[in-house]
Amino acid sequence: MSDPIRGQTAICGLGITEMGKVYGHDASWFAGEAIKLAIEDAGLQKDDIDGLLVNPGITGAFGTGISIPLQGYLGLRNLRLLNHMNSFGATASAMVQYAAMAVHHGMANYVACIFSDAPLQQGGSAGAAYGGAGRRGPSGMASLMPAFGFYGANTSYALAARRYMERYGVTNNDLGRVSVAQRRYAVDNPHATMRQPLTLEDYHNSRWIVEPFHLLDCCLVSNGAVCTIVTTAERARDLKSSPAYVWGMGQGHPGNFPHAEVEVGTTSGATIAGETAYRMAGVGPDDVDICEFYDCYTYTVLRTIEDYGLAKPGEAIGLYPEDPADPEAELPKINTGGGQLSSYYMWGMTPISEGVIQARGSGGDRQIEQHDIVLCSGNGGTLDTHGTLILSPNAN
Amino acid sequence: MAYDKPLPNPDANTQPFFDALKEHKLLLQYFPSADHYQYPYSDRCYKDWSTDWEWRESSGSGEVYTWVRMHQLYHPSWKAEIPYTLAVVQLDEGPRMHTNLVNAPLEDVHVGMRVKVVFDDVTDEFTLPKFEPA
Repeated sequence: MSDPIRGQTAICGLGITEMGKVYGHDASWFAGEAIKLAIEDAGLQKDDIDGLLVNPGITGAFGTGISIPLQGYLGLRNLRLLNHMNSFGATASAMVQYAAMAVHHGMANYVACIFSDAPLQQGGSAGAAYGGAGRRGPSGMASLMPAFGFYGANTSYALAARRYMERYGVTNNDLGRVSVAQRRYAVDNPHATMRQPLTLEDYHNSRWIVEPFHLLDCCLVSNGAVCTIVTTAERARDLKSSPAYVWGMGQGHPGNFPHAEVEVGTTSGATIAGETAYRMAGVGPDDVDICEFYDCYTYTVLRTIEDYGLAKPGEAIGLYPEDPADPEAELPKINTGGGQLSSYYMWGMTPISEGVIQARGSGGDRQIEQHDIVLCSGNGGTLDTHGTLILSPNAN
Repeated sequence: MAYDKPLPNPDANTQPFFDALKEHKLLLQYFPSADHYQYPYSDRCYKDWSTDWEWRESSGSGEVYTWVRMHQLYHPSWKAEIPYTLAVVQLDEGPRMHTNLVNAPLEDVHVGMRVKVVFDDVTDEFTLPKFEPA
């Protein structure tokens, strides 16, 4: 049994700016561009927008990210819904979810959900942008982290990955298969930053960042913005572009408890979020045609596949061919635009944006033929927060 | 050469913890009402929300929960150490600690390896609780 809200709301507009090393603009500028593109895509006017949900990326932590003042910058004067949200990588899913519930109950008609970030600076490294260079050191017990030499998200995810790999006998070559498979999709994605084909040899030759992660296990860092506009199914039907109907929504937030009673590395919030979304949509893992999974690291993809019930624990790598670079090898229908590893890193909007494209059937050379049920995930912290969206080109 | 890596920055709540390290004692917060050891510091037990607690000395024994080799240079003072081994140690009392693994041949390091605390007096001011094979 599905929930009555299944198919009653939709993403009716999508805006994706130029991505990557795009310099000279701040996060507000990118946000303005993405919202403009999304409105054009939907065939709406600026004044139609009566809801705005905002999620800054890492620039939010630097004090230069987008927030509530975006309303004034864009002159949005008809807002009936406004908020700044942050559950990290799960936020984009959550924005679409709250927007869907709001439009379903008449609190707003067209809600713009915007992620924007501009951490890259000309001449600076991605590591500097994300590793906290220049930020003031922590105090108390947290100050032990730099004292021991722990820095950044790469380290905390590498720790989770190691536990998973030793538990299930997953190897670096296995992680490389995920990286190479996604790059093959990115080659055909005009929005993608990294479009050079990749081999397993390239993967193994890429430098270590935090072992077990090579450089090619880690996502990109991107300047850019993505906007999705959420409305009711009834309104979406008459707009310019074909809707991606929202069938299922869910969240699961296991949090971070460094204690024996809580397992880290071999579980995530996807289990609970997925169950909730599957139930709402009235579908199960066997019905899923395409997965767009939050892939901050290669490991995260394998973890997520298993938590959504698409493979048994430790067996997700079995979905991938031995050599995904082989053009004859069939790729799993996972991260079909290249994901955060190869296309662009817009936190939870990376999987949702590609999910909308695939659901609409507008993926060009990378379009997956069967695209009725598209499962999108968002994941934040170190597997601490999770959001799920199930999208479909069909209203019911 | 003087020690040039980042040093701890105790605050009022955690000063006793860092003072004890200088005496080569590893302290944990113990919350009696939930019979719960907690680390890192919090003024409240996350199990039953009790604010009644005491410092207790840890056995310093545990096992490697997970580990990595750091190759990326985030702070210039680590240049000579790279790559170095970082670990999360599951203490026998329950809490997990981020730490350095020392005196451990790389080929022996694995999830589940038994370890014990070793105190590294890095400066006159500060001692770091690191772990080595038990």
